[in-house]
Amino acid sequence: MMMQHYPILAIMTYFLGAFLIVIFGKARAIRNAVGFLATAVPLCLLIMLVKPVMMNGEIIAYWMGGRVPAGGYAIGIALEVDALSLFFGLLIATAVFAAMLYSFSYMSHDDNEPQYYTLFLMLCGGVMGLVLSGDLFNMFIMVEILTFAAVALTAFRNTVFGALEAAFKYLVVGSIGSSCILAGTIMLYAQAHTLNFAQLSAMIPGNLNVATMVAYALLFIGFCTKAFLVPFHPLAADAHGAAPAPVSVLISGVLTKSGLYGIIRLTYILFRTMNLGSVQFWLVFLGSVSMFVCVTMALAQHDFKRLLAFHSISQIGYVLTAAGLATALGVSAGLYHAMNHTLFKGLLFLCAGAVLHETGTTDLDKLGGLSKKMPQTTVLFLVGAFSISGIPPFNGFASKWLIYQATYQKAVESGNIGFVLVTICCLVTSTLTLASFVKVTQSVFFGQLPKEYENVREVSFGMRLAMGLLALLCIVTGLFPGLVTSFLTEPAARAVFGANTYINAMMGAGYAEGFGLVDALPVSFLSVGVWSPISWLCLLMIMLLAVAIVAVSTKYDQVSALARTAAAEEAAAAAGPRYGSGSLAEGKYELFFGGEETVFSQVGGDDMFWGFKHNWRHYFSFMHNLHSGIVNDYSLWAVIALALAMLYAIIVL
Amino acid sequence: MTIIIDGLRYLAYILIFPGFLFCFLTGLLLCGIDRKLVARMQKRIGPPILQPFYDFFKLLGKETIVPAAANKTVFLLAPLVGLAAQVVLQLFIPVFQFNAFHGVADVIVILYLLLIPALSVILGAASSGSPYAGVGLSREMVTVLSVELPLVLVLLAVAKTVGNAIGTGLCFSLTDIVNYQIANGSLITRLSMLPAVAAMLLIIPGETGSHPFDAAEAETEICEGMLAEYSGAPLAVYKLSHAIKLLTLTSMFVALFLGGIGGGVMAMFTGVSPVVAGSVGLLLEILILFVLCVVLVAICVSLIHAVTARLRIEQLFKYYWTVVTGLAAISVVLAWYGL
Amino acid sequence: MILLNYMASFFLIVLGLYCIVCKYDLMKSVIGLSIMDYGVNLLIITIGFNPGGTAPIYTFGELKPESFFVDPIPQALTLTSIVIGACVTAMSLSLVIKLKEMYGTTDTHEIRRLRG
Repeated sequence: MMMQHYPILAIMTYFLGAFLIVIFGKARAIRNAVGFLATAVPLCLLIMLVKPVMMNGEIIAYWMGGRVPAGGYAIGIALEVDALSLFFGLLIATAVFAAMLYSFSYMSHDDNEPQYYTLFLMLCGGVMGLVLSGDLFNMFIMVEILTFAAVALTAFRNTVFGALEAAFKYLVVGSIGSSCILAGTIMLYAQAHTLNFAQLSAMIPGNLNVATMVAYALLFIGFCTKAFLVPFHPLAADAHGAAPAPVSVLISGVLTKSGLYGIIRLTYILFRTMNLGSVQFWLVFLGSVSMFVCVTMALAQHDFKRLLAFHSISQIGYVLTAAGLATALGVSAGLYHAMNHTLFKGLLFLCAGAVLHETGTTDLDKLGGLSKKMPQTTVLFLVGAFSISGIPPFNGFASKWLIYQATYQKAVESGNIGFVLVTICCLVTSTLTLASFVKVTQSVFFGQLPKEYENVREVSFGMRLAMGLLALLCIVTGLFPGLVTSFLTEPAARAVFGANTYINAMMGAGYAEGFGLVDALPVSFLSVGVWSPISWLCLLMIMLLAVAIVAVSTKYDQVSALARTAAAEEAAAAAGPRYGSGSLAEGKYELFFGGEETVFSQVGGDDMFWGFKHNWRHYFSFMHNLHSGIVNDYSLWAVIALALAMLYAIIVL
Repeated sequence: MTIIIDGLRYLAYILIFPGFLFCFLTGLLLCGIDRKLVARMQKRIGPPILQPFYDFFKLLGKETIVPAAANKTVFLLAPLVGLAAQVVLQLFIPVFQFNAFHGVADVIVILYLLLIPALSVILGAASSGSPYAGVGLSREMVTVLSVELPLVLVLLAVAKTVGNAIGTGLCFSLTDIVNYQIANGSLITRLSMLPAVAAMLLIIPGETGSHPFDAAEAETEICEGMLAEYSGAPLAVYKLSHAIKLLTLTSMFVALFLGGIGGGVMAMFTGVSPVVAGSVGLLLEILILFVLCVVLVAICVSLIHAVTARLRIEQLFKYYWTVVTGLAAISVVLAWYGL
Repeated sequence: MILLNYMASFFLIVLGLYCIVCKYDLMKSVIGLSIMDYGVNLLIITIGFNPGGTAPIYTFGELKPESFFVDPIPQALTLTSIVIGACVTAMSLSLVIKLKEMYGTTDTHEIRRLRG
């Protein structure tokens, strides 16, 4: 029965770690040890829950202080862990663990390190508490804790360009979101006189009226601010640009997931409104707009981390779109993509952090040619970039491919040609993502190395370890999509469609049926497509081998040519940078190059994709002006979104 | 024992047909025919048809220079990965009834696999550090972007049409698409598919970067762009994968729209022993495929090449996202309403 | 009476939002946040209020079916929410101080280095 206590232990370990660091955190060794344990222990605890919850389909209901429901009313505070919660919990624990590993060396040059780790662990505890909670008000408290910690961490390096400004904007709009969640919570309480999730889920779906719909809109917008969906995306971009890299991992990989979790929990289980076409339209529309607007915004950026931030929201758009389809395949695909998003986005932010750590800038127009100085970071970055752009066989492809199948299948099933547009939007967004990562690759890692970065070195082992861990997970989850879907995402999707089980586990058997609730959809994960990454990879490897053998054996003197170049490079290094190093050893190319000094010329970030940007120039300048950076404007967007959501909820539902 | 035989058979698929050797010969031959045709259309004599083979072996013999600014590993590895991916892609495209690797990838996967060769050229170019390559890869990426949208629409239209007909609603398997056509006649005869066919004919030159759409390698302004720094064997490998791309796209066109033509071939051999029917039929099918590919190349690569001038990159983008996308979208709508 | 409470709370929330959206000063934004918070708190209290009810302080023996008291849970929630609101105000004020030091102004139209 020890298992019952794992969730609360997981949450408390983070908070305990935070307090221990406040007290004993002066010494680096103790601080790091506490930080390591406080993130590793919850990960282990949650992994131990995989077997009972994911495979056996158990739901862990934990009443604090043993106050179980009496007379059909939940009076205590509860934790409830079903497959959906555990899925998000696992994501969070993994990302947090990697970010912590990375922090040890990344943050070692900052002052106020104990405070950093305290806030870091508070944020982790907040998110973990949110996803494992079974109580709406508890969720609000956790939302406040994590918003608070995230704001403080954004402003942690308060001398960095824009950090304070980003933190303030985030605080204002984030507080509006939190207040929305609180107001929504209390309006639900007024209707049902309970705050327990399971009991609310039983009572609300049968009694939808104006008040509950307004509460729905309020909660929805509240969680949207946490997930940074359009129109809250500028906050994410600002916050990521200024925050230290591990914090960016938390904000994009962890905080946005809490918002997504809230939205899924809300629409599928609490209100059960996903069978309504209007709610599906709402979610899919919001998701598609987020996905497309943010990817185009990303194309126009020339700061590495800001670009990644916009991509982050774009990928969240994918998840929301897939989740909004209300088919089992769609939800499973969306969750798969949520997981992949945590992994590859974390990896990319850590790579950006590595670049910042070594060069001191993330400006795409200033960087270049780092692949010669940081080869391992380059490889890790490429893994992340391929994953996010959905290049087979990396994980982004597996989940995006499922999303395409799901959207097109939905289009065919519902006979609604609008969903075809969604499929097309997903596919085009994916290519645009690839384009902007080509831009990053070219302007940061390839091209010519500016003079001031001659002395850049590879980052320390600890940082590479964290990045390597995430990269490995990216590859593994891409190569074995079957395992991921059957052990992680499909149980979670079943939990999404099995609200009655969730309610009964908490309130006693037959409680949900007492309210006349039935789990509507038969859960089927059939998809028409085929994709078997392992066979593909085998083919590719054999082919690569064959090609390589042919290339090496037919020729000739590649090896000697290489050797010659190596010798020539040494000569070139002695003589200063020259064009075509092969020339110096023999002098036979003097005719062509004359041996003159090369001019530094690099096609930087802003110069890329002119043909595309030119055709879209009106759109880009419109978007640029729209993102004015004034906090009032962003608040106005929030208020408009809230008003629209309320109107939509009242009129259409 | 069967495992060994199966293994050998698959190895033969990979290395000989429809894999490496077949791609090598057919691709370069298509390339040579294209050059000859363009020359004849422009009233020149043109190079011998085997010229691409001569060029390939000549380049193999030349020495490889790695620029000082380049990342050597990526610079040398990228062409090989690109070629391997290109050939593997060809394995998934059925030759009428013959399909070497069934059940590994569907149309959407193939759409993404098409990106890998392009991406490998882009990475190789980026790693060379040359500004010409930088401009070239920027243009190549825009070309990929432009072509992607209409290509997606074409594939969706085909998937919907075939799916409607076979009753699953949609069909992403290229094998099923071809089998359906063998049973019911080619899709090109459908009225609703004609705009998609036109769009696909315009996509092929865009994907292969042939003449009006070759802003990415524009020899006269940016020195072949992405290939500016390449020489010797890596350059030969790039030329080869470019030639194979011609084969891949044309045979994909055949599989998508002309699959029905192969239907008569096997029927000619009913009553003959299966071994004879299999081998002779297959040879005939390959021959038909090759002839069709040549015809397609003649129409959409050589002819357009001979009569048009190069588009600027922003014109190219606009053209694909308006005209070609419009054509493909008409097809999707028609297919959707079952016309 | 109760209706007036509801109206007042929604008025406060809207007023707070108005203040955040339309006043171009950091301090006023913070004030707007606080006002909105008060509105939500008032809403919570109002929802739990029963006219004529007593304070919800009972032991198990005293609790009878006919005892009439205000709902205790919203009051507990309000306390939590007030504490959180105070923290948000403190945090935002400290950020305003830092921003004023760095930018030399509290005008939101000047504080927009991150945009586009």
